[in-house]
Amino acid sequence: MKRPIAVFLIVLVASLLVSGCATTHMATKGDKFPLMYKEKPLVIFVLPPINSTTAVDAKEYYSTAIPQPLAFAGFYVIPMQITDELLKSQGIYDTETIVNQPLNRFYEYFGADAVLFTRIIKWDKSYTVIASSLTVTIDAQLKSTKSNLILWKYSGTIVANLSGQSNSGNPLANLIANVIITGINTATADYVPYAQLATVQLLQSVPFGKYHNRSGQDSQDKIIVQK
Amino acid sequence: MKYLLPALLGLLLFAGCATPPVSYYYGNYSQALYRSKKYNTPASLEKYRHSLEEIIRTSEKKGLRVPPGIYCEYAYLLAKDGSPEADRYSSLEVKTYPESERFVSFIRAQIKNSSSS
Repeated sequence: MKRPIAVFLIVLVASLLVSGCATTHMATKGDKFPLMYKEKPLVIFVLPPINSTTAVDAKEYYSTAIPQPLAFAGFYVIPMQITDELLKSQGIYDTETIVNQPLNRFYEYFGADAVLFTRIIKWDKSYTVIASSLTVTIDAQLKSTKSNLILWKYSGTIVANLSGQSNSGNPLANLIANVIITGINTATADYVPYAQLATVQLLQSVPFGKYHNRSGQDSQDKIIVQK
Repeated sequence: MKYLLPALLGLLLFAGCATPPVSYYYGNYSQALYRSKKYNTPASLEKYRHSLEEIIRTSEKKGLRVPPGIYCEYAYLLAKDGSPEADRYSSLEVKTYPESERFVSFIRAQIKNSSSS
């Protein structure tokens, strides 16, 4: 059992050392995303990611990696396994077609307070004997089903890394660590854990939802904003 | 590499005093889900179903709230098999997460429609 734990620790540390290469500045969650505190979305409908890369498996990897970190951030996530099938049965195969539509139906039918759109812009994986990493560039938007406004968004590059060679500290270390501890517990060459790690980092700026014990109390939390 | 050790130590300090903000047990859910989507074979679907059962069993044993959507996904699988147990699990979803009521009703109606047609 020793080795998986060691690997886990390294993943953890590596993950906390990302964003070294991007220009960043600090802001607070409350300043950056005031509408999250005003609307307090709880129920989230996650649309299938839009894949703008040539990696055919990116979409599936990424879509299975979204719900869990979102739940850990305190939200009720409508099960994607079911919603994906629903969308297909309605002839919606491509999230692109919904992007600019009014979203009130997502509330009417499903009770969703907000809809999460994600676009995968870059998906580079490297897997070698000494190091493996996944570099993902994601564009994400959480849009209100009531006001159609963007409540939260993220755009940036995330490196989920096993090599431990990244070189910048991350003050949100404890926060992320807490969230992913339960998230990653399988030692495998699959990219699901990496994709999940990427989502955890993606979500580090999101104001917590109702089921998080600091929900409503995190508006002064500092977040890193990538330029 | 020179940052690794301090970072590790820092992390251990954090880990020592922090309690997880939300506690959910997911077992090998994402792995099983991914494989069921990718391979879509009876064996991979069976593993996905087992992962749901295991989450429910373990969460209940540990006194944790079953994660959002898990009861509902399980109910959906049961309903597809025509199992009478489906309603019990979708009710558990609503009981655990009252905000899921609208979605669960929608799914129930869908299932009724498809089985009566």
